[in-house]
Amino acid sequence: MAEKHKAAPMVDEVSDFEILEAAVRELAIEKGLFTADDHRRFTEFAHSIGPLPAARLVAKAWLDPKFKKLALEDGVKASLQVGIDWLNPTGFGTPSDYTDLRVLEDTAKVKHVVVCTLCSCYPRPILGHSPEWYRTPNYRRRLVRWPRQVLAEFGLQLPADVEIRVEDSNQKCRFMVLPMRPAGTDGWSEEQLASIVTRDCMIGVALPHPDRKQDDKRPIHPAVHPIQHDHGHDHAHGH
Amino acid sequence: MKRSHHAEKSTGKGDPQCFKGEAGPAKFKVGDRVRIKNLPDIFYTRCQVYTRGAEGTVAVVTHESPAPEDEAWDNTDKPEWFYIVRFKQKDLWSDYPSAYPNDSVQTEFSERWLEKA
Repeated sequence: MAEKHKAAPMVDEVSDFEILEAAVRELAIEKGLFTADDHRRFTEFAHSIGPLPAARLVAKAWLDPKFKKLALEDGVKASLQVGIDWLNPTGFGTPSDYTDLRVLEDTAKVKHVVVCTLCSCYPRPILGHSPEWYRTPNYRRRLVRWPRQVLAEFGLQLPADVEIRVEDSNQKCRFMVLPMRPAGTDGWSEEQLASIVTRDCMIGVALPHPDRKQDDKRPIHPAVHPIQHDHGHDHAHGH
Repeated sequence: MKRSHHAEKSTGKGDPQCFKGEAGPAKFKVGDRVRIKNLPDIFYTRCQVYTRGAEGTVAVVTHESPAPEDEAWDNTDKPEWFYIVRFKQKDLWSDYPSAYPNDSVQTEFSERWLEKA
């Protein structure tokens, strides 16, 4: 640790794409395509979306065979029942992602897992933003090639006779996994079931478990090195 | 504000739904064996190199849309049918472990990339 604390930049590196985004955004605002406030509203919307509607869709499909049939036949129509309108997801006229949601049903013999090897296609209206690892070249390259090894890194090891079916999402379809309902959930309500369907279960890298909930309480530990209010401190801490 | 022709076409219908009925009859059906062509892909493609030349089975006939190789240049004149094709892992990677003969990969192609196997 340095003897004397020097001010370090908050952001070490800005990528070319961040610069490109800022340049295009500022041009679009200057040209009147949208206003700065429109952009702020959309950003606020984008930060508010998450995987809960998709978890509800899974829970409903577990409880209601008719709804499951609809979800497998027409994901966009089924999404309406959990409050997601793919044609107008923001409710204020901003454009959507492509609008062809496909729900992939796991069985005792087939386990689906989703990747986009070409970029990071993801069913954002219903599942929120993708986790960072989903967008990394590491995951994208390796999942199609060594799926069992990659899944094992996530803690998921499956018997050899289960078909691991990787869905490489490369066109306008968007995919989410409908995992199998785990044992130990008999008599559970839709809300209870939805609470165990985490984001990773719907990407396909994890299986739902009755003891693992979206909103599990986390322990709070006292800080080992309490915060000092200067940013010259070793910024590797906490990363 | 004048919206783009794409925005006007897809509003209220969605994309790819807005191209429904524009591709004519589909050439392949679920269960057909197909081979992925190795077409030139100067500038832009969404057909992965790892699928070129491989054989698979049509799993889903999905929708009609311009191929991305055209749509990237705002050419939406000739929509095509799209297909999700299922490959056995060992048909994509010759050294895929034989302990897992059922493992598979699915991905999607516009019709121009497919030929009867």
